Amino acid sequence: MTDTNETPAIQIRGLKKWYGEFQALRGVDIRIEEGEFYGLLGPNGAGKSTTIHVLTGLANFSEGQVEVFGHNVVSDFRYTRSRIGLAAQEFNFDRFFTIERLLIFQGGYFGLPKQRATERAEELLKQFGLWEKRNQDSRKLSGGQKRRLQIAKALVHQPPVLILDEPTAGVDVELRHMLWDYLRELNDRGVTILLTTHYIEEAEQLCERVSVINRGEIIADGSPEELTDQMGGGCIELQLDEPIETLPETLNGFDASLEDNFIRIRVEQPNKAVQEVMNSLNDADLGVYEMRIRESSLEDVFVRLTGRTMAEEATDGQP
Amino acid sequence: MANRNWVGFFTVLKREIGRFLSLYKQTILPSIITAALFLFIFGYALGSRIETIKGFPYLHYILPGLSMMAVINNAYSNTASSLFQAKQLKFLEDILIAPISATQASLAYILGGATRGFINGSIILLMGTWLFDIQMHSILLSLSLIAVVSIAFSSIGLIFGIRADNFDQVMVLVTFLITPLVYVGGVFYSIDMLPKMVRGLSMFNPLYYMVNGLRYGTLGTFDTSPVGSIFMALALTAISFGISVYLFWKGWKIKD
Repeated sequence: MTDTNETPAIQIRGLKKWYGEFQALRGVDIRIEEGEFYGLLGPNGAGKSTTIHVLTGLANFSEGQVEVFGHNVVSDFRYTRSRIGLAAQEFNFDRFFTIERLLIFQGGYFGLPKQRATERAEELLKQFGLWEKRNQDSRKLSGGQKRRLQIAKALVHQPPVLILDEPTAGVDVELRHMLWDYLRELNDRGVTILLTTHYIEEAEQLCERVSVINRGEIIADGSPEELTDQMGGGCIELQLDEPIETLPETLNGFDASLEDNFIRIRVEQPNKAVQEVMNSLNDADLGVYEMRIRESSLEDVFVRLTGRTMAEEATDGQP
Repeated sequence: MANRNWVGFFTVLKREIGRFLSLYKQTILPSIITAALFLFIFGYALGSRIETIKGFPYLHYILPGLSMMAVINNAYSNTASSLFQAKQLKFLEDILIAPISATQASLAYILGGATRGFINGSIILLMGTWLFDIQMHSILLSLSLIAVVSIAFSSIGLIFGIRADNFDQVMVLVTFLITPLVYVGGVFYSIDMLPKMVRGLSMFNPLYYMVNGLRYGTLGTFDTSPVGSIFMALALTAISFGISVYLFWKGWKIKD
């Protein structure tokens, strides 16, 4: 089989996995086209990492079919693994060697002859601003430098598919934007990218398509725009002149929540609902100090589907 | 991919050998110093009171056992601790996600540890025979046996490195099983010197056969059949190698 446009870069069908009695994946179906930038979102323990681990050979699975460019990840693992680069969320550096040496080893594991691996290590270290640190051990790097090294490690063998598990976790805004630009550039050059993230902006900015996974099942799939149109719903946030104890009865028809003098109302189309909300508050004799309208976002989709915010996930997910 | 990725295999092997060579103060010098101390204490100081065993000076008699002790300890420790660290610090994942088969990866780890066992055992044996002017009975048999036993204990190290959840579990086998079995395996005496019942028990100690086999290769003397010793060494190698490759392939404790 060859890498043709018709063959998806990644195709997962009916993927199931049990850990003893616990079923971690309940029939996951994912199809990622070649050249796509794809995001996998979901609460902690939803099955994101397990899915990635099955794709990369870090996990066995119980049932289903998993293919990379039409090749089975079990029976044709040499083909599929040579086409995937994985940047895991948790740093995993071989600490017995310098960072240049560990990149050269990484190239070797993927079959690059020594000279080619050495060239690739040099290219990547320069590209990621780590060349000056090449003779150091990874433990001496800062968090941002480690994150860059983690991504560089995944790219040594120039894989056509790059899998990134929380690629910008714990990095500053400047580096995050630099990494985004770099990932976009890679994607423009044809690299298929699958990422998991807790940063809503990251998914919205980078991904052409996202899936939400919950309790081992894909529960939504589409472009960020499609999902927010279908399931998002925006929000009207109101700060009242005076704190109140309970929500006024006039807001009974709305999905509203109250905290001191702050009311948050979830609506499908915020701009259309504003007048009605204001009328309801007038009827209840409540004065509004400030009002903010938030359009529908991927965050809303996530909350609606999983019952949790992405920020909660990010906090819980710290290793 | 028709390519079996032997580059990947040799890279893992190179990494394994590179690791212990860079740590030679912990991985090579200690066993040579220990063997030298044993030779000094038992060979010169105490051994002067023992005339000969089976016609050989005591110093000569204990040399193959000390070499085998270094082989077993080093081959086991290298693979067990290297695999355990790679697993705990998660850089084993670099190898698990690479297009390297489980057989290749485990073989590379085993050969890496076996190389350390071989280097340690050979240095002690060859330096000892040179220093004490021992005419080796069969250098080929001696070095072959060191190589085979290195592979056996490196494989056992892989099994325990995979199994271990903490470093204590890595070393527990050395402390409570390997070291005692080596000491009672005839390193310092001939089992013919033991009471009959204890001698019988020694026959159940697989490490006794390794020492016995190397003593035959070095000095040409033996307590039990050298053929049996070679057979035992080969059988232990085949079994432990088979189990370690199987566990790696299954991904027991190393894959989700």
